Amino acid sequence: MTREESSKVTRRSIRLASSVTDENPEPKPSHPPTVADLTFGEESITLDALLSNFPGRRSQILDLIRLIGPLDSPSLPIMVYGDASTGKTSVALQVFRHLNRPFVYSSCRTCCSPRLLFESILNQLLLHSKCSSNGYASAKRCDKPSDFVNLLRQALSDVMETLGRKSMGKMLYLIVDHVDLIKDWDKGAMILQFLFSLYSVLKMPQLGIILISGLPPDVYYSNMGYTDPLPVYFPEYSEDELRQIFLKTQVNKKLYSAFLDVVLRPFCRVTRRVEELSTTFSSLFRKYCVPLDDLAISPNEDLKRRLYSNLKPHITSSLNEIFRVSSRPHDGDTKGERRQKASYSSENGEELEILDFHMSTSAKYLLIAAFLASRNPATLDASMFDSTGGMDNRKRKRKASEKSMEKKEIAEQEAVMKGPGSFPLERLLAIFQCIASVGDSSFGEEEEEEEATGYDKESNNMMSDILLQVSSLCDANFMIKSGSCPLEGSIRYRSMVSEDLCLKVARSLSFPLSKYLYRR
Amino acid sequence: MAPSTTIADPQPSSTTDSSNSNAAAAENDIRPFFVLHKASSGKKSTGTVRAKRRIDSPAPKLAKKSEIESTEVEDGEYFSTLRLKVFETVWSKIDKTIQDVLRDSHSKVFSGVHDWICESFESIRSCGALSLSEAVRSYPVLSQPSSKQLFTALVLTRNLEMVDDLLTFEDLGLHLKSQGCHVGKLSSMDFSTKNGVGGCLRGLLRQFVMPTVDVADVTILASWYRENGNHNNPVVIIVDDTERCSGSVLSELILILSEWAVKVPVFLIMGVSTAHDAPRKILSANALQRICATRFTLSSPAERMDAVLEAVFLKPCSGFTVSHKVALYMRSYFLSQDGTLTSFVKTLKIACLQHFSLEPLSIMLEHFCQDNQPPGEGTGLLTEATMKHAFDLPSVTRNKITRSTCEMLPQFLLDLQRMPKPWSIVVLCIYEAGKFDKIRLIDVFCETLDPEARYLKYFSPSASLNSQSHVSGRNSVIRRVLRKLRDFSPAQLSSLLKSWESLTAEFSEISDKVMELHPLMRNVEAAGQRPGLPSSPKKHASRSHSKLEKELKAMTDKVSAIIEFMLREYMKPVETVPFNEILCYKNVDKLQSALLGDPRGRIQSDLLESYNILHCMCCSQRGTSLLPSMHDTSILYTLAQEHADVINLHDWYQSFKTILIPRNSKAKLKSKTCSKSKKRKDRCEEPEPEQPAEASIQARFCRAVMELQIAGLIRMPSKRRPDYVQRVAFGS
Repeated sequence: MTREESSKVTRRSIRLASSVTDENPEPKPSHPPTVADLTFGEESITLDALLSNFPGRRSQILDLIRLIGPLDSPSLPIMVYGDASTGKTSVALQVFRHLNRPFVYSSCRTCCSPRLLFESILNQLLLHSKCSSNGYASAKRCDKPSDFVNLLRQALSDVMETLGRKSMGKMLYLIVDHVDLIKDWDKGAMILQFLFSLYSVLKMPQLGIILISGLPPDVYYSNMGYTDPLPVYFPEYSEDELRQIFLKTQVNKKLYSAFLDVVLRPFCRVTRRVEELSTTFSSLFRKYCVPLDDLAISPNEDLKRRLYSNLKPHITSSLNEIFRVSSRPHDGDTKGERRQKASYSSENGEELEILDFHMSTSAKYLLIAAFLASRNPATLDASMFDSTGGMDNRKRKRKASEKSMEKKEIAEQEAVMKGPGSFPLERLLAIFQCIASVGDSSFGEEEEEEEATGYDKESNNMMSDILLQVSSLCDANFMIKSGSCPLEGSIRYRSMVSEDLCLKVARSLSFPLSKYLYRR
Repeated sequence: MAPSTTIADPQPSSTTDSSNSNAAAAENDIRPFFVLHKASSGKKSTGTVRAKRRIDSPAPKLAKKSEIESTEVEDGEYFSTLRLKVFETVWSKIDKTIQDVLRDSHSKVFSGVHDWICESFESIRSCGALSLSEAVRSYPVLSQPSSKQLFTALVLTRNLEMVDDLLTFEDLGLHLKSQGCHVGKLSSMDFSTKNGVGGCLRGLLRQFVMPTVDVADVTILASWYRENGNHNNPVVIIVDDTERCSGSVLSELILILSEWAVKVPVFLIMGVSTAHDAPRKILSANALQRICATRFTLSSPAERMDAVLEAVFLKPCSGFTVSHKVALYMRSYFLSQDGTLTSFVKTLKIACLQHFSLEPLSIMLEHFCQDNQPPGEGTGLLTEATMKHAFDLPSVTRNKITRSTCEMLPQFLLDLQRMPKPWSIVVLCIYEAGKFDKIRLIDVFCETLDPEARYLKYFSPSASLNSQSHVSGRNSVIRRVLRKLRDFSPAQLSSLLKSWESLTAEFSEISDKVMELHPLMRNVEAAGQRPGLPSSPKKHASRSHSKLEKELKAMTDKVSAIIEFMLREYMKPVETVPFNEILCYKNVDKLQSALLGDPRGRIQSDLLESYNILHCMCCSQRGTSLLPSMHDTSILYTLAQEHADVINLHDWYQSFKTILIPRNSKAKLKSKTCSKSKKRKDRCEEPEPEQPAEASIQARFCRAVMELQIAGLIRMPSKRRPDYVQRVAFGS
């Protein structure tokens, strides 16, 4: 970790040093943005540096540069697409850094509505920055695509004029990132079409448009008569390319390459996203280095083997998880060192048995009742929950229906596909009352002491605020509600708890869940 | 009288006529447009009055209660205000204690969260500061892919219910704010699918930047963060009820914030009420991998409740205490009903309030909590009536204390004041012994309050002999403690001894006994150390092992003997002490009815006996028979009792109509054609209200059905059975 940070610091400091040269080290808030800010703002890099920065992206970079074309030549719209975390945005931005041409960047992730997208583009063109003095307002208010075209045309011609005066070329580029997100917007299809046809609508060859999308271009085309953008595909990285990417920033390359030998292959089978891999690898590498005193060591075969055997148990566990929670010692004496805890793997058996949060007894019974109502077919309720406890009845019934076994099997498979069944509130409450009373009677037998004091009103009290408990179970996502009008009374519920959790709850009540669960 | 009737007469008769004429046709179809007729304002007002009454119904009861008291006590008015005042002082004392306890229980986690924020913030800043233009421009800073990680704290509240922790997160926000962080709070309300991610961004901007922002733009946050030195402090966003949030919106917010994580270092604090993997269930995979989560655990509600219990009842606080039954009730209410500390505190407050409103002598509590004041001080307040009441108290008569021993009163009161101290020490000692077995303080508390002291029978030799077969008291905590003592390791014993020593330091009689244990403990330790020697031969080791066993046995026997001694000598349950009624609240039934209320049952019984509430002249004297003057909803509900769980709407309507238009008036209508004069005469004689029109009956019917539906008593017709409504019969 320290290694990575230090490498990051050095990289950043170089960039900082470079940026210091052309602008004030501490720009005042009133510092007016100029047209120069439309370029990347740092010294441009050479093509070689660009290519070496992005291993495995050589052809894409060259394609992109070719499509953007030489200085001052108009270009057709380009669409950069590929899976997440394949370097689309970084490559596009660095290409512009290399070309040192002015561009405007807007991400549809950040601008989550058409208005924000339009205004963000206009703000950058008009060199307007939001700050407290202008009340964080945009330069122009713009909601509709038609307004946007007019304002954009006007702003563009202004910018072009200044660009021409400063001899910074005759082209400006618009980069729109995360275009695929627009599909989910309100009226997203319309905005998408507008974006694709912007080039032909605007009729200004000075604006080059680059769309970055996670989805292939086929998804968007709809025969609307606009020129299709030129596609540039970013494929997933291969294992070798990933190795180069991860090795690039490391200080002790030999040690890290030994580490990658071990982890890269199994993880590549799961995911090839750099982002995902890098978070996993950074925590794994920390574990890998635990037995080492000297991190600058170059490992021999024997050491590699030892380190591998040390790491082995962690690999499989972190292969299966994308979300890990580290807990942190409260006393803080082991500062900085956090005990990583894989949520499933390192939990030992005993921990699984115990419910680690508090629920009131009636909420527990209600949870079990909901679980049963979702799993058991409603027709069996009567036989399950009669006074005798149900087991014998059920067996008889199953034998009787042996003829229709095949039919049943099909129905069962269907039920599995459908997932937990839904049930009305009445059924839930009826089952709740049955199992709570059963639980109570066994409870009462155990606690004769309590009964002797003449205090056993719990079963009556149980019912009082049960609807409140239902709603809090719904809030905790243990049950979900479906149905429209609450007055209609047709709300149906569905239990969302896993059998494990339900078993845990049942165990804490010492309730015989399996006795009531209908197994096919 | 005569002219007025003649003027008023023609109109109603004409309406009845007209309705009568097409009655045959209209009988069977309830014309839908009649439903649209507006109900008369008069009816509306009765409806609202009824509703108000229902809500206010506990109030008259309270008033009645105080009335009875005022007849008992001479100048009850004065005393009741005085008692209220004392209640306020006592409750404020309890309340403050509870607040302090809760704050203490959280402070550790709070400072932990703050340390974590500081550390992570430093690690972000150490990556290098961004220049202004770099920080506010729209494209991402290109650096390590891991820089998109969003630091997130999962604060586990360990309770399904959220109520307790709303305040906790409020406090956490204040704590972090006082440390200089920019704190914003979002609740599940902000994460609605309707408003999308824009809604919660807008909420955040309004909290951080300024209240008039109406554009949900993260760039505003970025430019704000770079102004006026804001960037010296981290931004903290608290989401207190993660489970209730819409997962897609929360995921989107996390994605957006993580894109900007380098420019605006945001720390997300998520309150998780169930298991720590709850985020896995609601967030999308993309959002999950952007989260760099750290877990913090708040103390569980049971632990918090034990702390509150200890501070309120076992440490000197207010003097107020509760009886065995009330304590049992509070425990079962906590365990089986609500499970929140809020409800526990509410129960306590209700008990306290009822104690002061029911017990005249409770005014003396004011002087109990002050140590330096002699308790006899309060006696000056007592009037003749209260004195009489005092000597009629069951605890007084049981102990055969009479008025003649009146001068002894201060002595009794002094005893009463001193009593709780050794008692609470004993309770805490037992709790300390049970801690290794995860015994809860509330269980110990409940068991030791038992006025019959049934726990003592576990010490009788017979009980220890056939303890296996002895069924009763299987759940006894003290028995469990005694059994567990045998399994204690020497280390546990010595730590138990240490804690006992510090607990009993002020109370010499018990602490002497505890001191006697020390030589035994030394023996045990000595015996325990010997087998640890490596040179010791095996035979010797086994012998010394048996010696250790013997010493341990002697030690545990002694410890259980001390527990027995403490229980016998000092564990005087508060209910056996004379004049305990001053301190102790006993009325468990009142407490229960105040807490539970049973609103659904109440609605139904009120509907069936609406005349009891409305107190109108016309219906009350006739008992149970239905009258047209009764409230429509009440009539309908009474009629519905005759049906099974499905009610035919038409039948129901017909029987409703027959109630509103009684049979004898129908007969009258038939005779109406014979002679008008006779009819008019009849009318004059009988001050019967004029017949309501068919339309208004239908409208009233619909209205009443609607009210029943809103009250949750019936369900509207389904598509399958359009003519039937269904009774929702739960809670009756």
